[in-house]
Amino acid sequence: MRGRVLLIRVVQMVFVVVAVVTIAFFVLRIATGDPARLVNPPGTPEEIIAETRARIGTDVSIWQQYVNYLSGAVTGDLGTSFRGSQPVAAAVLAALPNTLILAGLTVFISAVLAIGFGALAAWRPEGFVDRLVLGFASVAQATPAFWLAVVLVLVFSVNLRWFPAIDMTTWKSFVLPITTLVVSLSPILVRTARQSFAETLSEDYMKAARARGLPTWRVLGVHGVKSAALPLITLIGLQLGFLLAGAVVVEAIFNWPGIGKLILDSLASRDFPMIQGGILVAAMVFVLLNFIVDMLYAMLDPRVGAAQA
Amino acid sequence: MTDLIGSGSQLELDSDRPGRPGSVFKSPMALAGLLGTTVILLAAVLAPALAPHDPTGQNLTDILAPPFWDQAASPEFPLGTDGLGRDVLSRILYGARNSLVISFFAMLLGSSLGLITGLLAGFFGGRIDSIIMRLGDVQLAFPFILLAIAVLGVVPDRRAWHVIVVLGIPGWIIYARVVRSRVLAEKEKNYVAAARAIGASRWRRLFTYVFPSVWQVVPVIALLDFGFLIIMESTLSFLGLGLPPPAATWGGILAEGRRNMVVSPWLPVLPGIAIVLTVLSINLLGDGVAKVIDPSGAKGGFRRFRPRLLQGSEEAAEPAPLLRVRNLSVEFPDQNGTISAVHDVEFDIERGEILGVVGESGSGKSVTASAIIQLIDPPGRVTSGEILLEGEDVVRVSDRRMRQLRGRSVAMIFQNPTASLNPVLTVGYQMREALRAIGIPQEDVDETVVRVLTTVGIPEPTRVVRQYPFELSGGMNQRVMIAMALAAQPQLLIADEPTTALDTTTQEQILTELVDLARSSDISLLLITHDIALVSQYADRILVLYAGEVCEIGPSAQVISQPAHPYTRALLESVPRVEVRIDRLEAIPGELPDPRESRIGCPFAARCPHVMDVCRVTDPFPVEIASGQWAACHLWTENRADVMSS
Repeated sequence: MRGRVLLIRVVQMVFVVVAVVTIAFFVLRIATGDPARLVNPPGTPEEIIAETRARIGTDVSIWQQYVNYLSGAVTGDLGTSFRGSQPVAAAVLAALPNTLILAGLTVFISAVLAIGFGALAAWRPEGFVDRLVLGFASVAQATPAFWLAVVLVLVFSVNLRWFPAIDMTTWKSFVLPITTLVVSLSPILVRTARQSFAETLSEDYMKAARARGLPTWRVLGVHGVKSAALPLITLIGLQLGFLLAGAVVVEAIFNWPGIGKLILDSLASRDFPMIQGGILVAAMVFVLLNFIVDMLYAMLDPRVGAAQA
Repeated sequence: MTDLIGSGSQLELDSDRPGRPGSVFKSPMALAGLLGTTVILLAAVLAPALAPHDPTGQNLTDILAPPFWDQAASPEFPLGTDGLGRDVLSRILYGARNSLVISFFAMLLGSSLGLITGLLAGFFGGRIDSIIMRLGDVQLAFPFILLAIAVLGVVPDRRAWHVIVVLGIPGWIIYARVVRSRVLAEKEKNYVAAARAIGASRWRRLFTYVFPSVWQVVPVIALLDFGFLIIMESTLSFLGLGLPPPAATWGGILAEGRRNMVVSPWLPVLPGIAIVLTVLSINLLGDGVAKVIDPSGAKGGFRRFRPRLLQGSEEAAEPAPLLRVRNLSVEFPDQNGTISAVHDVEFDIERGEILGVVGESGSGKSVTASAIIQLIDPPGRVTSGEILLEGEDVVRVSDRRMRQLRGRSVAMIFQNPTASLNPVLTVGYQMREALRAIGIPQEDVDETVVRVLTTVGIPEPTRVVRQYPFELSGGMNQRVMIAMALAAQPQLLIADEPTTALDTTTQEQILTELVDLARSSDISLLLITHDIALVSQYADRILVLYAGEVCEIGPSAQVISQPAHPYTRALLESVPRVEVRIDRLEAIPGELPDPRESRIGCPFAARCPHVMDVCRVTDPFPVEIASGQWAACHLWTENRADVMSS
């Protein structure tokens, strides 16, 4: 990508993040009213509420608060938690890697599964293996992540005691959360990979590659995967949002110290700066990941790369 | 986390292909989905009548009663009770009601918004379109579900409509995108343009002409969306962000059950099963409906079918030609029976010979070529006959052996060179890979690549190897294909209309180069083409195919000057009228016979100017009418061939 294209992309990304922060700020405010009342128990005397307002900075107009928030955010100051005095930015940044590692491993494992099972199913469309793979995908797709997580805990933690039910400690604590997320993410990837493989297999260049006497593993593993993986990459970009939603549930169930858990806990205590900060960082990461996905696509498909240059 | 965006984009369907109503019922899966959906909807609607207890009625003397499969179960509570003594069956029934109603209205909200915005964006275009689509990009670029969770978490006094709005609104973009692309396609159609010409107003055109042919796509997406929303709704209620307690929701029952999970594991498990069954039913139904609208599921495939026949007849030890094809038949099974693509074809190719194969589209020339290299597109298969390449029957050799033969003994080049090279790999990569596959040692590969590219007249081989096929012209790509094919010095090269996709000047050039290279390396060439006049300049002999059968074969000069089959004659006569290619013979009235019907008599009988009664009842067999010239025509067996010259 050349400089101009890159610049446009960066401006777009900033625009999206600002838009999200703005929407989140006003929607949350309008939905809740005065945060000072929410953080205090009902029946608190007005003086104390006024005092709280002054402390958390909501004694000025909402527009002023918005401007204050944005100017703080630009310098990396996301405010201070309502509960205690912890700076929001530090708390969010501490939680972020824990969510990213969950999401990253999930995407990696799901993509490998999708390519493997997609190729297997596309080998003979409508055949036995194809039906089996698609059948599994359908059931997995209908399975809610939170239920699967509970069932996995019931079987593997409570009964078999193989893996821990909560917290992030050893490698064993990754198994159940990641299994849950993979089962949620992979069905759509498997279906797409299968479709994409089936289409790739009927391309002229696949037949031509075989006519050259290339071994089957090379025809499938190099020519097939390289072409069939492209739609998969786009799809993964589109699914990141749902992956994040799944991560919230999984983090809640497995007591995983990530962004999702942070936001959920902050909701319970009406900790606005924390909720707001979590959403801001999630938006930034999300936009950045989508950018990486697009770059990856351009790298793997020279036609797109050339069009952007 | 589910199919939404994926299936949405796959649903950008071809609107010219109308669905066949009722064919959903052909698929057992879709039928099961329909049945399941109906049962669950009924259960939800009839919950007040079906539920044995008040779903919120607590009964602290009967807490955590076991379900029916347990010894200690009480018939009063078939699925047991929860931690507050409430009847689980009643709660699940009412949970269905709550979950389905909320998801349904959320779906209605999202689909209405999406339909309206999609119609506006597609129909009016311009600034309206770009604003709507840009909004959609922002929406897709951010996980709005996170915002939804935050809003529901902080809103005081949460109600059902809060949940509906938060779940429903983000869905609009999926509908809007599909509707928009449909409107764009529809707008271009003649009747809409005609309505514009007669002065119908914009809104009238939108609602009278465009809307009726666009809206059908919405229910299909809505079905898939519905399943997804049910999962999202129960996820929210699981997190305690759905309908507030004590209302029964599936997610809520599960979350409460989780607290007693060690003592009563069925409590969290049962509502989950209800969700899975519901969503599965709805998705199966949705897939079934989508398949009716877009029946393009069964593409691709990668298998070679070998006939289950005994070894072919042992021929006497006469000097065998390089290639001998005997009784070759190829069929393509499809839903409506079997298509016979090639029927009893026989011919030989000698070493170093150039055989031109001529015929219209559908004559079986490409299928015959594919059969020789054993790459017939699935589900096609050789049903009888043998193809002896240097005495080895390629129809019956193992897959492993066939891979060795491809590239080394028999190579093939195709009609569309640019599509025959992988678009995402460089020319050099593909060449090196091909050369290694035919056994050229690693250290010689790079040098060989440059050498063979030079042989086929590529001016800057070292630059070309770094390029991608889309950066080269069709002619250059075909030269690359020829270079790869000839690199291993195969015995036989099959060229399936190698120049059809190229412009006229390049055509002659490439063809001349190809033939010269074949001649100088003593490679046999099977040259398939539409153009009998063109091929006669290059080929030693010509084979004429019609509807999968051999009409005539013989030395080029002989076939051109004295065609022995009325079809060959017709082909030659049509040449001056159709300049280069003959897709369908306009010169001869009638069409190719339906390859599905079992045929009696000569395939050309329906179009033949000299047809006789015998042609309609008996298959003609080939007779030798001059040295090396054979024709399958009753005119020769009935001694009436002279009618052709008159």
